Amino acid sequence: MTRRSSVLVAKLKRLFAKRRSDVEFDDEMHEHLRLLTNRYINAGMQPDDAKSAARRQFGNTTLLHEDRSEMQTIPAMETLWRDIRYGARQFRMNPLFAAVAILSLALGIGANTAVFTLLDQLVLRLLPVKDPQRLVMVWSTGPHFGGNSGARAASYPMYQDFQRAAKAFEFVFCRLETQSSITIDGGTERVDGELISGNYFQALGVGPAVGRLFSPEADDRIYMGHPSVVLSYQYWMRRFAGDPKVVGKKILVNNYPMEIVGVSAAGFGGLDPARSPDIRVPILMTPVMTPGRDDLANRRSQWVQIFGRLKSGYTVQSARASLQPLFHQILRDEVEQPSLAKRSQHDRDLFLTRTVLVETAANGYSGLRQQYSTALIVLMCMAGLILLVACSNVASLLIARAMARQRETAVRLAIGAGRRALIRQLLVESILLSVVGAALGLGLSVVATRGLLSMLPTNGATLMLHAKPDGRILLFSVGAAFATALVFGVMPALQATTLDLLTTLKDMASPVTGANTPARFRKALVMAQIALSFLLLVGAGLFTRTLINLKDMRTGFSSMENLVSFQVDPAKNGYLVARTRDFYSDALRDIRALPGVRSAAYVMWPLLNGREWDLTVVVEGHQAEPGEDMQVYYNLASPGYWRTMGIPLLQGRDFDERDRVNGGDDPQPWNVAIVNREFAEHFFGVRDPIGQRIGCCHGPGTKPTIRIVGVVENSLFAGPRSGVRRQVFLPYLESASPAAVTFYMRSARPATALFATLRGLLAKLDSSLPVYDLKTLDDQLNETLSTERLIAFLSTVFGVLATVLAGLGLYGVMAFVVARRTGELGLRMALGAPRLSVLWLVIREVLILLGGGLIVGVPSAYLLSRYVSSELFGVTPTDVWTGVAASALLGLIALVSGFVPARRASGIDPIAALRYE
Amino acid sequence: MSKGRAIENGRSEVLQGTLDLMILKTLDALGPLHGFGIARRIEQVSEEVLQLNEGTVYTSLLRLQQQGWIDSDWGTSENNRRARFYSITKGGMKQLARETANWNRISGVIGRVLSLEGEK
Repeated sequence: MTRRSSVLVAKLKRLFAKRRSDVEFDDEMHEHLRLLTNRYINAGMQPDDAKSAARRQFGNTTLLHEDRSEMQTIPAMETLWRDIRYGARQFRMNPLFAAVAILSLALGIGANTAVFTLLDQLVLRLLPVKDPQRLVMVWSTGPHFGGNSGARAASYPMYQDFQRAAKAFEFVFCRLETQSSITIDGGTERVDGELISGNYFQALGVGPAVGRLFSPEADDRIYMGHPSVVLSYQYWMRRFAGDPKVVGKKILVNNYPMEIVGVSAAGFGGLDPARSPDIRVPILMTPVMTPGRDDLANRRSQWVQIFGRLKSGYTVQSARASLQPLFHQILRDEVEQPSLAKRSQHDRDLFLTRTVLVETAANGYSGLRQQYSTALIVLMCMAGLILLVACSNVASLLIARAMARQRETAVRLAIGAGRRALIRQLLVESILLSVVGAALGLGLSVVATRGLLSMLPTNGATLMLHAKPDGRILLFSVGAAFATALVFGVMPALQATTLDLLTTLKDMASPVTGANTPARFRKALVMAQIALSFLLLVGAGLFTRTLINLKDMRTGFSSMENLVSFQVDPAKNGYLVARTRDFYSDALRDIRALPGVRSAAYVMWPLLNGREWDLTVVVEGHQAEPGEDMQVYYNLASPGYWRTMGIPLLQGRDFDERDRVNGGDDPQPWNVAIVNREFAEHFFGVRDPIGQRIGCCHGPGTKPTIRIVGVVENSLFAGPRSGVRRQVFLPYLESASPAAVTFYMRSARPATALFATLRGLLAKLDSSLPVYDLKTLDDQLNETLSTERLIAFLSTVFGVLATVLAGLGLYGVMAFVVARRTGELGLRMALGAPRLSVLWLVIREVLILLGGGLIVGVPSAYLLSRYVSSELFGVTPTDVWTGVAASALLGLIALVSGFVPARRASGIDPIAALRYE
Repeated sequence: MSKGRAIENGRSEVLQGTLDLMILKTLDALGPLHGFGIARRIEQVSEEVLQLNEGTVYTSLLRLQQQGWIDSDWGTSENNRRARFYSITKGGMKQLARETANWNRISGVIGRVLSLEGEK
């Protein structure tokens, strides 16, 4: 321990034990004096003389006390405390100033903290697992010539190849998120499930809370041989209240008997920071978890996500480099397999250009993140701009206040206050303001974050994101507070303390010539505010128009608020194909019989929710060029679908009872199809599409055996952004797989009134069947557009906020300028200037500020808006009208906030003004 | 207000910093003492040459204590009252050795310089 630090420790200790040690010190001195006195008495002195002799010899006790307290305190801390108290007193004396400043900062810091809370949880935070920096995600891109389900998916055999042969990884593991029905003690519910490879928990370094977790030896060996379930900690708490006796409990998963073997550790959510599966099941149980689909051995189906843990010494780049040869070896093997061998040389060459990608997964993988990260970063930048606007407002206020305190400052400087001390004092006031602002802002941000979270779609799963501020958020807002205090506090503080003492003290502070440094600086700040507000308003305009364009896009469906939909997945309750089909028919019959329901139908792929199913098509008489885009988008529909959705049937007929299943496990079950106008026009032009034949689902070699029986008007599939696709509809009744479907019904009554009735009706058919995603198609569209809504909403709020702040700033400066120029304006009027010209004098200055702001703002907006072009739709980033509208709005605000001081200026009484001077 | 200014009758001011050294030496030589005892010892050794405001002993003690060179404990004085007894720490002994060496060196130099001037 160094000497200096031991002194500091002693001083700090004393901060807390001040009283007691003072009393003890008094005792000590008195005792000393007493002993000295005794000594003199013993030497023969009179007691009174002895006492004063002792005092003389001891010295000045008050001085001693002072020395002592100086030695025992930390001067900086004492003065800091004094400055803080002084600052607080200043604010109490001037509450309006303090309130405006603190509120501006609270809004700025609150907006930043709210957006940061989401950004942090979704994008920045590392997964709470062992050594998250070494986790990576592995996937590949390029033409795959097979089925894809989910983002960044790979085939299971590909995963096995990596797992066996990739040298860069300590572990390679995989997963698939899937919803499932589980039945516990007779009750069935829908949960988030995850199929995982046996080494999943080992690779992540996660242990059990109770029971055991999966291992490669015990849970990853036999196809369909591991009916075991691991619960997540949250689900265990929520559903079983943390009862350790669940281990060994028998439950049904998708109607298949399984046993709960353990619970994963608390705090572990999974690889997706936004959502956490409730149950995990070994991947070899795939047929149970995804009924009707079992692609464990299919190289042409990509459905699992692959992750790895890097061996030490490998980086993401070197791991990718070492994986590349292996990947190409796999591709060369695959291209020789029957499924690809009959493809054209062009396709085969294309296939071999696939590349493997490796990316860090230290913060996991989240679909929500993929969807929102750009939006959040854009919003974070906008929030930063807001904070700058707020800062310049406060800076401007501080300068105005410093002007008002000029005499006080001058007096303090004149009687010997150091400039440093004054600057410190002013900075402490700034920090005080921003800390109070940050505290308030933190409160605001919690409310705001809750609001933002409610705007994110949940898709039926529980979102793991939360609004509760933790240490990181706290740190962020404290950092923001200090940074802002520096930004807005330093300039005013420097300026306030450079005074010409003599002039100020002689009260010559308002010369006839109006221009002076503080006003110039404040004007610059206002121009900056106008420029920033322009940026934010342009952003708001662009994003709002994007949302409007997307919402206004012709969906092809009529009155969506009356279209009610819900999903059921009977296969997950163990229904087989025939029973599923019967269930759907019964449900349809009963729903159509409901009062107020005009028509009803079902399709396999729900509409407008971002999912679609595309395959290549073969069209009779159409010779596909090598590389020609033959993708079309499929859906399976029941009869009555187009009538229900309000889509006109242009030619031919709807599906009906004729189009029923024809033969059990026929790999080519379909006989008829209905196509949309886009498809018909693309492939047939002016020819009549009815009666033409197409083939599907088995690559380019498929025989065209499906007859087109109808053409329908175009409508959207995945959502407005992907637009109208070439679509082919096949009759669900001919399907050989028991897929989940979405029912749609058109209601004559308010849609919400139908919800309860529907639940009751379906419970009567099968009470153990979970019904989910009950909503109107309009709700669905809003959910799909949630990113756009979030950006449009927030950017509008930010734009308005910035404009209001800029208006306040402008008003403040103009009022200040008019007040300072009272004498000059009075003189002008005394000399005969008309009121209007005085009014113009002030307004002209407002216009100059506005122009100055726009001169900076417009080119910046021009340069910056291209960075958000990926978030826009139907509007160019450099849209002129948006810019014009933003300038017009700013101009209006500027004129309004300039008019009040201008009128005051034109109403000046020349006599009074000159006398004042 | 004039603390420690050289006074008439031939007594000298205590040199800045030397009081600390003297106290350390005293505690090293005599073991734990209270402030009064330290003042007496210095008085005795200096043979009334040094002019000392005894209160400054306490400032010095506080400084030494903050630096961790001495320690204090409560005991009973000759008056049978509570008194604080100070004792030297290990760090204090090291400091004493350092300062003593330093002192000898400097006083040697100063002595030499002064005697040179005397010979001229």
